[in-house]
Amino acid sequence: MTLFEIFDPKAAPRPIGIDLGTTNSLVAYVSNERPVAVADCDQQVLVPSVVTYLPNGEVVVGRRASRLATEYPRDTIASAKRFMGRGADDAETARLGPYEFAPPEAGGDNVIRFRVAGDRVVTPVEVSAEILRTLKAQAEDELRHVGGAVITVPAYFDDAQRQATKDAARLAGLDVLRLLNEPTAAALAYGLEKNRNGTFAVYDLGGGTFDVTVLVLDSGVFQVRSTGGDSQLGGDDMDRAIAEEILGALGFDPARQTPLLVRMVLDEARKAKHALTEAESVEAEVPGQPPVVITRARFEALIQPLLNRTGVACRRALRDAGLAPGKIDGVILVGGATRVPAVRRYVAQIFQREPLADIDPDEVVALGAALQADLLAGDGRRDDVLLLDVIPLSLGLEVGGGVVDRILPRNSTIPCAARATYTTQEDRQTGFEIHVLQGEREMVGDNRSLARFKLHGIPPMPAGMARLEVTFRVDADGLLRVHAKELTTGIEQTVTVKPTYGLDDATVERMLIEALDHGEHDLGKRQLAEATVEARRILRATAKALTIDAELLESGERARIQQACAELEQAATGPTASVIRSRIEALDHATKAFAGRRMNKAIALAIEGARVEVVEERVKNAQGAEASDVERASGADG
Amino acid sequence: MNPFSTLGISPKFDVDLEAAERAHRELSRALHPDRYLAAPGSERRSALTKAIEVNEAWRAVRDPIRRAEALLALQGVRVEEKGPQGDLRPDFLMEMLELREALAEARASKDWDAVQAMAAQVRTRAARCEEELTAGFARGQGAAMIAVLAEMRFYGRFLDEVGAIEDDLAI
Repeated sequence: MTLFEIFDPKAAPRPIGIDLGTTNSLVAYVSNERPVAVADCDQQVLVPSVVTYLPNGEVVVGRRASRLATEYPRDTIASAKRFMGRGADDAETARLGPYEFAPPEAGGDNVIRFRVAGDRVVTPVEVSAEILRTLKAQAEDELRHVGGAVITVPAYFDDAQRQATKDAARLAGLDVLRLLNEPTAAALAYGLEKNRNGTFAVYDLGGGTFDVTVLVLDSGVFQVRSTGGDSQLGGDDMDRAIAEEILGALGFDPARQTPLLVRMVLDEARKAKHALTEAESVEAEVPGQPPVVITRARFEALIQPLLNRTGVACRRALRDAGLAPGKIDGVILVGGATRVPAVRRYVAQIFQREPLADIDPDEVVALGAALQADLLAGDGRRDDVLLLDVIPLSLGLEVGGGVVDRILPRNSTIPCAARATYTTQEDRQTGFEIHVLQGEREMVGDNRSLARFKLHGIPPMPAGMARLEVTFRVDADGLLRVHAKELTTGIEQTVTVKPTYGLDDATVERMLIEALDHGEHDLGKRQLAEATVEARRILRATAKALTIDAELLESGERARIQQACAELEQAATGPTASVIRSRIEALDHATKAFAGRRMNKAIALAIEGARVEVVEERVKNAQGAEASDVERASGADG
Repeated sequence: MNPFSTLGISPKFDVDLEAAERAHRELSRALHPDRYLAAPGSERRSALTKAIEVNEAWRAVRDPIRRAEALLALQGVRVEEKGPQGDLRPDFLMEMLELREALAEARASKDWDAVQAMAAQVRTRAARCEEELTAGFARGQGAAMIAVLAEMRFYGRFLDEVGAIEDDLAI
């Protein structure tokens, strides 16, 4: 253990993992191969995801903001995550809550905007960025120099919600290594901590989102088989059900409440929910009103419809994974709402086994994110661990008659891509309207609209002659890019997709500049630092490749690559980010063919490896199937 | 693209899914973007392209319909997925039409048991189709299986709709 550390401004950046939750958020990092959550000066690791915008312009985050909620109910945003990536007209805005929403600007982005502190207007992305900034500062207090971050999102988050999360991180000045699905993060924490193989289900009931994920853990590879859920179902809904019960018992008209009353009743409801984990009944007391008794039985009846909704998703995830409920080796519980006894009973019933909760369900996601951040950017890199995640919802295009043509089915392993070709319906049609959708339904209106764009400039041709090729590409963060091109004429048009619900790049850029104006960062300095770090990283990787795969080099190739390395090396000591960037590109160009050959070698080795494994397994099976059965049985309990 | 050769397994319908999954896992270990975060751009892009190809191959091989299509493509048989259902018997099409109507009715009247019963029936039939495909390809008569494939696609869409109804009824 280190007793004291000397301050070093050039301390190595440490990767962090962040769980940006609906109710609480936290940050963790890996120390001596173990993930630890960062505590604040009061020894608390959970930061309430609450932001208060005070009339004097001050922005307060966390516990103090929670305390300010009754005084400033309308200026305190308590569950921004539920509003991420949603349109201004979304049903979420109509639910019981103390907020005031600003109407969307004409011609502006279709995003939700809260009106706070008089006439200030903020988006959920900006609110989330405040929380992320606080977490970053908390991590910096402990680590001094924070490197890249892995930020978790519900597996069931759609494209707009993921993009919004990434935008928030950018605003907070974080370098996002990866967006990681929360259940996968939890599985990683369990898998690496408890060192087990098998098939697991992760039941993640957070404040505002529900996810279920079925995954197989085998020799360090976490392969997600299926995922399902509901991005607008969580512990908040339990609070709301109790709150409505209280309001009803007190004889208030649910449609006509003041923000203050709603805030107070929701707080009482949450307290009642927590108390009912232990107590058989509680008295909810709203100031100035008679107490309302809520029994555990009544509470359980109120939340039964919510549990049933989770059950449908669980059964579907099992079916998608091709598994019977009894085939699961362990069920992992994630999220504070899984502390409710009725939830645990329900989970045990669905999966026919007692769930695991030996890692704190509030912390497990952040711990997993920290492990992934360490795997991606840490010093103690482990090549044996890998996460293979999937897309939660099918992606498709609108075709004639308002029908969706599915291009990438849900549960496809990411990164993935698929393309489809279409033709014109009418003579002399010079443009295609492309409408991108996410969801499982046949009709366009029943799915979520992700983006619309037009491909113009196609010369007039008879119907059926033009050939439009649309390519969908989902990266390892689960984010979609769509590319359209007309094949017969060779007209290639790359189209930037403007998200249906979300901020466009210019808006994020503007917010970023505004944040910088507050004197938090120096953009130029940051760009130079980033370019230098990247240059060093690439130089190291290239040198390593030249040593390991020397035999793959063609004559003269080594000299060319080394020349490009030397030039980059020189630029990296200089003060100009753009020069470094262009030299990185030059090196990139010089290594292109070499990289291709290295890739083919890696593929050949992997295929060989899979075959060797088959042989080994056959030998193992021949030696005694009994031993492995015993191992599996002992791994399954506890 | 030949998904079988991408995964390094022999092309047949009765494929060893465990071996295919293992190949997919080992290839992912070698190619996943997480492994190349620190790599130069050229390597990163090259690995990404290959990783996508490997995932696509695994997706094709594990799905019986797409696996059959890939095998037929290797034999030079073009399967027109969205083409006319000419190979299907009219009585089958009529039956499917009726089944879809019955499903829509069950949905409207929120008759969950009826939905489940129809889903179970269709799942059984889909499983039988898969057996037929296995036998057909084993006999080397894959090209005669196009009608069975078309039938399976109907079942797939039917079961998707069942999933959507499940969502609606749960709320």
